[in-house]
Amino acid sequence: MKKNYGVIYTLPTGLWVSLFFLVPVIIVFLYSFLERGELGGVVWSFSLKAYQDMLSPTFLHILVITLLISLAATALTLLIALPCGYYMARSKKKSLYLFLIIIPFLTNFLIRIYAWQAILGNSGFLNNFLIRLGLIEDHIQFLYNEWAVIIVLVYSYLPYAILPLYSTIEKFDFSLLEAARDLGTSHPGSIMRVMIPNIRAGIVSAVLFTFIPTFGAYAVPKLVGGGKNSFMLGNIIADEILVNRNWPFASATSILITLVTTAALGLYMFANKSAARAAQRKKI
Amino acid sequence: MKGSEVRIEGIDKRFGDFHALKDVSVVVRKGEFFSLLGPSGCGKTTLLRIIAGFETPSAGLVYVDGANILPLPPNRRHVNTIFQNYALFPHLTVFENVAFPLRLKKLSRQEINRKVEDYLTLTKLTGQEYKKPAQLSGGQKQRVAIARALVNEPDVLLLDEPLSALDAKLRQHMLIELDTIHDKIGITFIYVTHDQQEALSVSDHIAVMNEGRVVQVGNPTEIYESPEDIFVANFIGEANLFHGTVSSVEGEMVSVDVKDLGILNVTMEPGDLEGMRDFKPGKKVSITVRPEKINIAIEKPPDLQPDVFSFFPCVVEEVIYNGFQSKFFVKVSGGAQGPETGPGNGNFTVKAFKQHVSYYSAGPEIKWKDRAWIWWKADDAYLVEVHDA
Amino acid sequence: MKKSRFSRLVFFLTLLFLFMPLFILVIYAFNESKNMVWTGFSLVWFERLFTGSRTIWRAFRNSILIALSSAATATVLGTLGAIGINWYNFKLKKYIQAVSLLPLILPEIIIGVSMLIFFVGIDLQLGLLRIYIAHTTFNLPFVLLVVISRLDEFDFSIIEAARDLGAHEHQTLLRIIIPMALPGIISAFLIAVTMSLEDFVITSFVSGPGSSTLPVHIYSMIRTGVSPVVNALSVVLLGGTISLVFLMRPFLKYIAHE
Repeated sequence: MKKNYGVIYTLPTGLWVSLFFLVPVIIVFLYSFLERGELGGVVWSFSLKAYQDMLSPTFLHILVITLLISLAATALTLLIALPCGYYMARSKKKSLYLFLIIIPFLTNFLIRIYAWQAILGNSGFLNNFLIRLGLIEDHIQFLYNEWAVIIVLVYSYLPYAILPLYSTIEKFDFSLLEAARDLGTSHPGSIMRVMIPNIRAGIVSAVLFTFIPTFGAYAVPKLVGGGKNSFMLGNIIADEILVNRNWPFASATSILITLVTTAALGLYMFANKSAARAAQRKKI
Repeated sequence: MKGSEVRIEGIDKRFGDFHALKDVSVVVRKGEFFSLLGPSGCGKTTLLRIIAGFETPSAGLVYVDGANILPLPPNRRHVNTIFQNYALFPHLTVFENVAFPLRLKKLSRQEINRKVEDYLTLTKLTGQEYKKPAQLSGGQKQRVAIARALVNEPDVLLLDEPLSALDAKLRQHMLIELDTIHDKIGITFIYVTHDQQEALSVSDHIAVMNEGRVVQVGNPTEIYESPEDIFVANFIGEANLFHGTVSSVEGEMVSVDVKDLGILNVTMEPGDLEGMRDFKPGKKVSITVRPEKINIAIEKPPDLQPDVFSFFPCVVEEVIYNGFQSKFFVKVSGGAQGPETGPGNGNFTVKAFKQHVSYYSAGPEIKWKDRAWIWWKADDAYLVEVHDA
Repeated sequence: MKKSRFSRLVFFLTLLFLFMPLFILVIYAFNESKNMVWTGFSLVWFERLFTGSRTIWRAFRNSILIALSSAATATVLGTLGAIGINWYNFKLKKYIQAVSLLPLILPEIIIGVSMLIFFVGIDLQLGLLRIYIAHTTFNLPFVLLVVISRLDEFDFSIIEAARDLGAHEHQTLLRIIIPMALPGIISAFLIAVTMSLEDFVITSFVSGPGSSTLPVHIYSMIRTGVSPVVNALSVVLLGGTISLVFLMRPFLKYIAHE
């Protein structure tokens, strides 16, 4: 009896996501093994051309650039988010700080990118400010390179990293640090040996929440990037779909991003499982 | 008498590989306070959930007043449940929680008001009507759960460890209140608990369960005074167990040879020797003696007859003072029916509980490491069967 | 203690980093000049925003329409789904759980591309309908998570109690489950509205000509460079966002849960 109701409740959701999410993803998967059509679309004959095209030096360069940019952005985000999460979790004004972190996060994504355009642009706030101070004579090109992309990516995804870190650190029992100090570790030592292992789940989620969207970034490199060192995989997909009309190649690139994402996720779940198992062992 | 008779016949329940209930048959009489007692995992809650309609048995039938109720969904059974964690609706006030089943029945406003007030009065909740469950204490939540389950006027009330979330004092108090409510409204109560004190103090009948089986059904005195097997003897109250072999049966007197201890005599109740319990010489049995039936003193009373009493010298290993009683754990050496054999390092630790009705009148105080005597009457020991593994 | 001073420094610098661009944006919305050099206070860009840009307001209307409709659909479907996933066991549960949470994990561009290819495949040309479907799809997992985290606070015995007291399944749903989960359902709806108003990447893939939403329109304005009309628009949106957040404050804890 219960069983029937469970199915009835979940059926609409199940049908919706199957039709509008799973089916499209399967189509993309199939398209990546087809030949491209003359005017976009595909020709229904099997081909590995899209995957062979991935071995071209241009594509490999883009792949490496994408990895480097997303890894750099992730590392930088984590370095900033860890002390922030720690400070927020130990503070007495937790909900206020949480609120402050969330507000800019709720501002429109494009407006946030635009703000950086207005700051870093050639006639933007920063250049005008520096010229006014007499520090530089002519404007400096801050925008349209990989550094601008990294800064804006960090800006965009910082709250995604701070929130999970905050919530795990908040649950951490700080008397453990005192116990470690009592047993003779230094303060940084106690943080490294006691706190970090205990908040590992939060760190891994923070890394994942930044790495996955930055690896698939599209709008940020499009708007503040430029040149061949900040053209990312997301931009290739858009170009192949909208400009070059090479749908199989766009599909294959999508599959690549999906695989990397799923692999990252798999690692995360594996890490969680082995952590849980280690915890179990400790209990015994 | 109000209430219904509940007849459970051959109920079997499997959850995958786990055999939760094994051919359980029990009859609960009209209007009685019936307890299902057993350790956690014995299947008592599963049985209750089958009666309520939340689980479907793999085999067997449940009759309420002669009608099989298994095909009915929970909302159509005249059976209501008090849940372990109360399961009060958090978004509704006390009044609305109790009114919930009445509103479903679309009763008139006056009737709803009258009935809710009646049951809130019965459960001493007047004045709390407009509070939300989160504002109530544990005991009050419990009362709301009782009022809500009773307002529908069910034939049978199921109680799933209803007191387990309360502290010890409140538990005592609520138990007495439950008993009073039962006396007032007179419907059948089926009460699940793992606490033998609760079950013994309020039940008309108790079914002791273990590993999915009902091991004994009886009134509290029967369950306590003559447990039918070692599990019941051990689970209900505390017990001293001596394993041995029947050596002779003379009339009502059964003599049992206990290794390293000698012959112990047990006087049977007249009815016990016939019927199901035939203890022939050579049969393996256990002797159970409740600790409070064992006397302890520094000096052996002069008039103990070996036929009527069993007595041993011992060394006091541990004394636990408990306020109203003292618990003595003593070590008894073997082979002693007389004073000749002094206390030794025997293998038997015996528990003897002494009530402090007349603490000082019963001779000198017994302390740790004292040499003392213990004795009990053959009537106060009883035999339980040993199920061969 | 040294560590906590260091973390305080990092935290307040981070707040500065997060808010400074927004402050600059707001201040320059009231600047007379078109450039990022302060020349004097003026409301000229607001005037131009409200009178001279009809396309912005059409995009804004589209955004609101889609946000409300897709959030409502996702909330209804997701709430029912959450009830089924949280409290019932059935054969396809694992599948539904996995498939409905996956859109949350994959980068937006993947969802955008696959939906575009799908819509072209089934020859669905109505831009607004495409956007509505896409937004409902990516909002569903959020609704599921938020409502599940609310339902998690209650024990299943509450549902059993309702059944025990005589309620049918639909009475249990309407009188117990939905009122009980209401704070979670409202916050799920508000999150879905926000996500929908916010989305650019997926929308830009599936939208066709004449069906742009506000973010897509903003994109077309800012890709060509800085325009103070965007600053003025940002001020309006910021005001809207902050009031929405104040509205959501009581429900924020369910957002933090996920």
